[in-house]
Amino acid sequence: MPGRRGLIAAASLLGLALLWAWATSPFGPVSPERFPSPPLVGAAFLQIATTGFAGATLPRQVLTSLGLVIEGFLVAASSGTALGLAMGWNRRFAAFVNPVFQLLRPIPPLAWIPLVILWLGLGNAAKVLVIWFAAFVPAVINAETGVREIPGALLEAARMLGTPRHRLLVEVVVPAAAPMIFTGLRLCLQATWTTLVAAELVGSFYGLGHVLSEAQQDIYPGMIFVGMAAIGVCGWLTTAVLGWVERRLLGWHASARPAHA
Amino acid sequence: MPERASPSIGLAAALGLAGLAVFFAVWAGAGVLGLVSATFLPGPLTVLGELLHLLTHPYAGATLPQHLAASLQRYGGGVVLAVIVGLPLGLAMGWFRPLDAVVSPIFDGLRFVPPIAWVPFAALWFGTGAGGPVLIIFTGAFPPVLIGTYRGARMIEPALIEAARMLGTSNRRMLTEILLPGAVPSIVAGLRVAAGLGWQSLIGAELIVVSSGIGYMMVQGEAAVATSTVMAGIIAVGLVGTAIDLLLRAAERAVRRRYGLVGGGR
Amino acid sequence: MSAIVFAGARRVYDLPSRRVVALESFDLSIAEKEFVVIVGPSGCGKTTCLRLAAGFDFPSSGEVNVGGQKVTGPGPDRAVVFQHFALFPWKTVHDNIALGLRNAGVPAAERERRIESALKLMNLESAARAFPHQLSGGMQQRVAIARATVLDPAVLLMDEPFGALDAQTRVVMQEELVRLARVNPRTVLFITHSVEEAIYLADRVVVMTRAPGRIKEIIAVKALREQEGWDTLPKIEDVMDQPSFVQLRTHVWRSLRDEQVPSE
Ligand SMILES: Nc1ncnc2c1ncn2[C@@H]1O[C@H](COP(=O)(O)OP(=O)(O)OP(=O)(O)O)[C@@H](O)[C@H]1O
Ligand SMILES: [Mg+2]
Repeated sequence: MPGRRGLIAAASLLGLALLWAWATSPFGPVSPERFPSPPLVGAAFLQIATTGFAGATLPRQVLTSLGLVIEGFLVAASSGTALGLAMGWNRRFAAFVNPVFQLLRPIPPLAWIPLVILWLGLGNAAKVLVIWFAAFVPAVINAETGVREIPGALLEAARMLGTPRHRLLVEVVVPAAAPMIFTGLRLCLQATWTTLVAAELVGSFYGLGHVLSEAQQDIYPGMIFVGMAAIGVCGWLTTAVLGWVERRLLGWHASARPAHA
Repeated sequence: MPERASPSIGLAAALGLAGLAVFFAVWAGAGVLGLVSATFLPGPLTVLGELLHLLTHPYAGATLPQHLAASLQRYGGGVVLAVIVGLPLGLAMGWFRPLDAVVSPIFDGLRFVPPIAWVPFAALWFGTGAGGPVLIIFTGAFPPVLIGTYRGARMIEPALIEAARMLGTSNRRMLTEILLPGAVPSIVAGLRVAAGLGWQSLIGAELIVVSSGIGYMMVQGEAAVATSTVMAGIIAVGLVGTAIDLLLRAAERAVRRRYGLVGGGR
Repeated sequence: MSAIVFAGARRVYDLPSRRVVALESFDLSIAEKEFVVIVGPSGCGKTTCLRLAAGFDFPSSGEVNVGGQKVTGPGPDRAVVFQHFALFPWKTVHDNIALGLRNAGVPAAERERRIESALKLMNLESAARAFPHQLSGGMQQRVAIARATVLDPAVLLMDEPFGALDAQTRVVMQEELVRLARVNPRTVLFITHSVEEAIYLADRVVVMTRAPGRIKEIIAVKALREQEGWDTLPKIEDVMDQPSFVQLRTHVWRSLRDEQVPSE
């Protein structure tokens, strides 16, 4: 069955590609000035790969964005998870933090962009701060929920076995909350990409968002397509890496899922 | 040992107020003590004053309510479009496996392109017209509508359908009394997520492509180094987003009650 | 000296809406190496009583002593076997059993030796590297028992440990527990809903009244068991066929039956 599904998927994507080629060809209804034809995309790709576009070649643009994503993700994920764990661990601390958190939470992450540009300009620090505003929230919420939902019996079992208080965090709390923490990290990563692209579109010197914004100004559909595709591929790649890490660390859980389903 | 019990309501309230007090004290104090220039971090009262001022005095061509009205119009357009396309497609994918097999890979491929990355095409296709932001809101709101509906449609147990058949349920009854109530909670949950993501995408779009709306006002404020205007904009955006979410929550509750999915106190 | 002593233990929960008396003037002395089973209607306070001995909870008034000392918190001297096993899903069978020993600072070599013998005793050698979810319910419960007994606790506290198991597995576990108890007797406080299980396992059966729970009756089984030679019978069903067993079962049944809340 999965083989058949894979076949249908391949056929579906192939069909879409053919549809695209036909629609943007001279016989098709779509003008290549509105949406690029495959050859135009190929040409744009060749240009950015060799001579470069928007100030640099593709590897440099990709590495700029990827570096910021990794940096922003690590900062937001680690600080958010730590705060979430603390809030789940200590209900009084949670009561202290929660109103402020709830006050700031409804603000759409992208709304911070103008303020952060005012504060820090268009450099890397500004990008990381905007990413932090966006990606911090899901990390906090999921880590906190993860700790709060730990079955009481597990904590009691650990205490019964004489686990000292300070070791409880490592032995029980973090591993038990880990599946929820990873749920948060996936959302965190998604938010990181969205915000970074937005921030780079609004103002930056390098990066894939910068490629998009230059291509938009030059009315260069082929390059817009290449920029979007590059963002998609990078997003998929980072998600895959996170998934790999999750499977490595949470082998006990991932394989537990089908048994429970 | 994580604390299992929440603090008493009184203690929680006191702690929460203390937290808020610290937050506002740091915000206000940073400017007063000269740690940060007031140009870059105006105090809470200044920002509140600016917010009230913007209610009646135009900035960047319109008053705050006018900007918000322009934004909400686009927002409504994008979200409604997402529902019109996503809802039937999601139901169809849930109920007809072959369609699911065809559409899912395309959807999966597009999933990793953030809605905001559609801005250049939106600008190319629609210029500064209303279509651009609507497209971006659509790309933000569409996936959760589709996924929520799809899950809802898949959620209905075959045994329930068989039971209904066995009881001689007519096709029309089947739709209104079995299929929809089964799918509706997940659909409404998807709509709520869609509303949130759509609002976020709108703000992103308005930072880039248009010449009116709340996002545009904030960009203009940023260019003029009017920090209090930008911060007033952030607050307005947060308030409207909260209002939208509250509305949808109420709707979700009403729908769940309508379909008998809420028990007494839960 | 008694291993566990409840002296007028009472536990009251003050909920916002009402006040629940979970346990009322509970007096019970459990002797060293005695196997005591508590039965009683649902909600009568059995779990509460066990949690007081474990140190997860404390009496509102009265006292609970274990080994002559007032209970101030949980500890490895009073190992608990939970109803739903409470195994750490991210630890292998081996690592689940190892945690208590590591906490006690047992050196690695000694630790491995004890884990190995615990695995052997519970027939788990082949499952040492498996994660809990890869095991059947019966195996999971054996791991939970191994995890508790490997610490060689003075007291074993078991709250409906076989409640989540199917009937066949349950019988096997009951026989296994009896085997363990005769090989290496220790003080056990055991809770169950099954009258047969109670009589089969217990030295004494404690019947509780419906909530608020008090002790209704204490039935000595040990003397009868030894006199009738139950332990010489290899299979549980042979024991259950004994007229002496049947008579006792009927007695406990009636006693419990009187405590059921009349249905409206
Ligand atoms: N944490 C708690 N807060 C409030 N009430 C509680 C709490 N724990 C137990 N109770 C109440 O105390 C009473 C006794 O509960 P307990 O769990 O000891 O019963 P039980 O005999 O173990 O029941 P069962 O056989 O169903 O497991 C019940 O009425 C229960 O609702
Ligand atoms: Mg109980």
